[in-house]
Formats: sequence, structure tokens, C-alpha cells
Amino acid sequence: MSDSEATAAAKGAEVVQEEFQDALEMLDSSPPTPDISTDVAPTRKARRRPEPKPAAAEVEEKPKTPSDSTVSQGGWGYWGSWGKSILSTATATVATVGQGLTQVIEKAETSLGIPSPTELSAQAEEEQKEQDGQSGRRRIGGNGKCDGNADVPHQCRPEYYVIMDITPKLNLHIFFSLQGKTVITGGLDALEFIGKKTMDVIAEGDPGFRKTKGLINRNSTLSQVLREAKEREELQQTAEEESDSEKKAVAHYGMLFDEFQGLSHLEALEILSRESESKVKSVLTTLSGDELVQLREELELIKESFSLVEFDDEEVDEKKDEDGSEFEKEIMEALEGLSITATAEKLSKACKSTCSQITDMITPQEEESEEDMKTAPSVESEMLNVFLFHHEIHAAAIRSLAELTARSIELFHKLAEMILFANGSTEAGVLSQLTVVLCKEISLLSKKFTSCLTTAGSNEKGDVLNPLITGVFLEASNSASYIQDAFQLLMPILEISHIQRRAESSEQ
Amino acid sequence: MEAIWLYQFRLIVIGDSTVGKSCLIRRFTEGRFAQVSDPTVGVDFFSRLVEIEPGKRIKLQIWDTAGQERFRSITRAYYRNSVGGLLLFDITNRRSFQNVHDWLEEARSHVQPHSIVFLLVGHKCDLEAQRQVTRQEAEKLAGAYGMRYVETSARDAINVEHAFTELTRDIFALVRSGDITIQEGWEGVKSGFVPNVVHSSEEVTKSDRRCLC
Repeated sequence: MSDSEATAAAKGAEVVQEEFQDALEMLDSSPPTPDISTDVAPTRKARRRPEPKPAAAEVEEKPKTPSDSTVSQGGWGYWGSWGKSILSTATATVATVGQGLTQVIEKAETSLGIPSPTELSAQAEEEQKEQDGQSGRRRIGGNGKCDGNADVPHQCRPEYYVIMDITPKLNLHIFFSLQGKTVITGGLDALEFIGKKTMDVIAEGDPGFRKTKGLINRNSTLSQVLREAKEREELQQTAEEESDSEKKAVAHYGMLFDEFQGLSHLEALEILSRESESKVKSVLTTLSGDELVQLREELELIKESFSLVEFDDEEVDEKKDEDGSEFEKEIMEALEGLSITATAEKLSKACKSTCSQITDMITPQEEESEEDMKTAPSVESEMLNVFLFHHEIHAAAIRSLAELTARSIELFHKLAEMILFANGSTEAGVLSQLTVVLCKEISLLSKKFTSCLTTAGSNEKGDVLNPLITGVFLEASNSASYIQDAFQLLMPILEISHIQRRAESSEQ
Repeated sequence: MEAIWLYQFRLIVIGDSTVGKSCLIRRFTEGRFAQVSDPTVGVDFFSRLVEIEPGKRIKLQIWDTAGQERFRSITRAYYRNSVGGLLLFDITNRRSFQNVHDWLEEARSHVQPHSIVFLLVGHKCDLEAQRQVTRQEAEKLAGAYGMRYVETSARDAINVEHAFTELTRDIFALVRSGDITIQEGWEGVKSGFVPNVVHSSEEVTKSDRRCLC
């Protein structure tokens, strides 16, 4: 989908949504309309990026950067714009999930053979007109006689048919234009078929239902969601090992993340966060009057600095930081005076080894492709080599992302522990700066890996390469979400630390 | 890649600082002995599979807590989700043995409403010449609290496997008898995957996909 098409599609989706409302009224069927404004995980709103649409416009206006052209040469094609957009919205879970859904819908549409939103909005109009004209005839059938079977001749179909015929598409467009769980559950209730299909597609694009689960069951904690995803992967791994004795370079993000103890650190951080939160609450209940008002204001200041984080992917410069030393510098700057050097060193070590891996990957591949040109080996063996090589790069990318994310979460966990026991003043600004640095690094590395993939597979068809590239971008955006969620978990910890310091100073 | 396991048990390792908690765990999970190590900050994590019977593997997730007093308020928060624990003291340090009682109290009060199975470990048993705590008195204390007692050495790799395996076996027996059950919202015991049982949701979706297209 080109950029202009994407914008048009977004507009189209809006139109369709309006018309959907109209159509609903007209059909006199009234499923509960999801309350868009209130139901989208209100606590996370603050972290959402402004709006996806301005970003799309920006992309349109921007001259193509070198990286863009490499990507499209490599057969990115249709997926190019999506990959970009998913990364640019890798800021917050909600925003990312929105993007994920967009992709889901695009895929769902493709696999259902449903035309583009623009076409659809026009079609919906036509169908409405048509329906107006035909309404008399359609009522003849009545609700009971035709059961929505596809074999039933068109004329015979009752109003029921209209619902079946129009709402699936329109439903998809609510998917397209809205974000939130109501949409998912509502869509599933309304139409089982679409629901099934959608879940299939989500499963395809979101292995282990990491995000989807988070949406459907907001009560579960992040570490729970990740754990379930990991368990699913382990199961899958077992099945694969049984059925396929050949060693394949399949990378499972969740398992690797756990291997690097990311899950445990996340859980420990959640424990500390929850505990601090309840302590803050109990302190607040003991206060009254001016004291309470003042403390509330002070805590509000802390909260604010947690909602101000903006991470703009567009600023990430690919040329910079070949060996990870720039990252190390930035991390050390951000962590100055926080006395957790050991953990930070682990993180920058992981980053450096990733960078050197990427460098190693680029070099031999160039030689290899030259050799290929000269010797021209048999097509089959060449394809096999390339296949393995792609999967190796992909596996390395997923592994690196999992390790960096786990180390980042370890860093946040250690920070939380230090803040709690050291009782020194820690600025929220430092932590948000750290978050930005980490997310930038994730984004940068995923770009490096995908350009590796595209270079390595420049002779390949898109259907070999695209799922791998998509996978890397997806896990990168997941990684960024986890890091930002971990950052949010620090908020109650800073609050309770602030309260403790306050109590100490008033005692003196 | 990770092998299949029946259960995952979460164990916590506690005891005074410098009794060798991290060294014992590293010997168990990494098979080596670190001469020098920094004091643990808060908690660190390790994991390993243990085969308690042929074909029956348990995944141990080990929470290595900081022994230093200043971290106590933080480490307290971590007790709740453990099914078992190793309570270490240093046989060459009488003070660490006297603190065993306090550690037990501390742990028992913070795991409520769950219970926790402890193993008493007299560590650094390679330093026989400097011994300050006799085996008899340690066994007596362990017996009084209904614990087993094992003497280990991370440096010479004495009884390290044995300590973890015994504790795992004890917990497994309790799980099997139903005294310990898997509970929602409690991470102490998790069930794993049994080979040859098809309960994969992926397979269902896959077949769906085929007929819907």
C-alpha cells in the first residue's frame, strides 16, 4: 500500500465508520456501539503518541531516506509502509496494538478477498442504495426461511442477509479505525466467522497472542502475558522437535526472553511496584487537609514526568553507532550517580556483541553473493543456502532483541531496588531519558537487522523474506513496549521514595 | 533448547551475607566456582533443570536474595511466590548459625498464606579446620524445625547437587500427595508440559484456517 493510498484508506475508513452507524440505524439492529472515548485503557492514554494520522501525513511529505530505498529494493513492497509505521509507533503498547490491529485487518481483508477501505466505502454506499431499493423484496423472505447459507439465491435473502453481507466488512472497519478491547470482543460476538478468521490472522502476526491477550484480559500483568506466550512457544517447540528432527533456526522471542531472566526481573519489578503503590495509598489515607493537598501536588509532579515521554523513531539515525559505543556512552550518562554500573555494563556488553554480530553478517554475505555470480551453483542448493542464511539472521535478530530487552528490564529492576533502599533523590527525568535511549537502541538494531535481511535476500521473493522482516519489526515493537511498561512500573517506586525522603527531612 | 519439564518450582535462597548463597547457586547452575563475587543487590535469578526420576524433570527457578541487612525490606517482598527454599549458614561463622531462627521467622511470616519447604544448609564444609558449628547441633536445630540438614561446599562441589535434588524431591512428593497445589496467582509451583499429549491450541487454529479459506 503506497503512502497516499494509506492516507486515503484512513479517510475511507472514517467515512465507512460513519456510514456504518447510519446503516445500523437503518437496519434497526442495535448492537452496543463501543464507547470509543472511554474504553481504551484510560491509564495508558497519557503515553499514547499524538495520533497515527499526522504521522502518516509526515511520511508522505518526507523525502525518501536512503534506508527507505534499500528497503523497497529488497522487495519490501507492500509491507514497506507497514513496517515503517509499526516502528514509528513503537512508543506505547496501546499505539502499537493499534498498529498491530491495522495490520491484522489488512491481512484479514486480503485473505477474505475484501476490497480496500476506499472501494468499500463506495461499495457500502452503493449497497445502501441498493438496499433501499430492494428492501421491499428482501422482506419477503423473512428472517426464518433463509439461514444465511451462501447457496441461497440473492433475491431470496431476507434482511438477515443484509446484515451478514454488510456488517462483516463494516465490522472490519471498526477494527481498522478504532483501538481497544471492546472492538475485539464486540467483533467476535457479532460475527463468529469473522472472529475466527481474525483470531487466525492475529495469531499469524502476533505469535503467542502477546498483545491480543493483553487487550482481551487487561487484568493480567505483563509478566503473566509474557509467561503464557513463552509457555505456548515451549509447547510449539516440543511439537516441532518431535515432528521435525532437522535442526531449524527457529527463534522464539518469549523463550529467549525468559532464558535471559527477563521474565523474572519483570515479575520482581512488578512485585516492588505493587507494594510501593499500596504503601503510597495507605500513606495518603493517613493524611488530611493541607498536608494531603501538598503531597498530592508533589506526587502529581512525579506522575507528569512519567507521562511526558516521547520517543520519536524518525529521529533515529542509522549511520551512527556502528559498534555500540555511542549507546554505552548514552547509557552511562543517563545512569550517572545511580550506582548500578554492573547491570549497565551487562547491557552495553550485550549491545556491543549484537553490533559486532551485525558487522560480521554484512561482510561475509557480500563476498558470498559475488561468488554466487561467478560460479553460478545449482539453483536448488543456492536457494537452500539463502534460506538458511535468512533464518540465521532472523534468529540472531530475535535473540538480540530478547537479550537487550531482558537486560533493560533487569536494569529497571535493579534501579527500583536501588531507589528503594538508597533513598537518594532520583529524578524521573533521568529514567525517562534512559527509556528513550533504550527504545532508540532497539529500533536502531531492528533496522540494522532488517537491512541485513533485505541485503542478504535481494534476489529473493517477498514471501520468503517478508515474514522474517515482519517478525523482526514486530518483536522490536514488542520490546519497546515492554521497556516502556517496565518504566511505568517505576512510578510508584519513585513516589514512595519521595514520601520516605519527605518524612525523613521533616523529622530532622 | 529447553527440554520438557513436569513442573516448575520456585526456590528462594536466604541466609546471612557472605555465607556463600550466590556461590552455591552458581556452582549448581553454572558448574563453576567464582573466587571473587560482588555482594548481591536485591535479588538475582538462576534456573536449571533437575531430573528427579528417569524422564521426570523439574525446572528450578532460583531467586538468589541479598543477605545484607540493608536490602531486607526489599527481599521480604520476594518470599511469597516461593514453594521452597535453602536456608544457608556458614559452618565457620557461628553468628550466621544463630541467625537461622530469625531467617525462618522472617520467611514464615512473609509467605502467608502459603507454606514453604526449607532445607538447612551448612555451607563451606571444605573449611573443616575453621568449623565453629558442629554437625550434631545443626542437625538438632534442623530437626526442631522439621527441616533436613545438608553440609555443602561450592568450592569443592560437595553435596551441591544433592542439596537441590533432595529439596526438589521433597516438594515433588508434597505436590503429588496434594499437600501443595498449583494455585492461580501464585508462582511457587507451575505445571509444565508432558510429552506426547496433544493439547496445542495452534493445531486447532491451523485446521480451522484450512477449511475457512
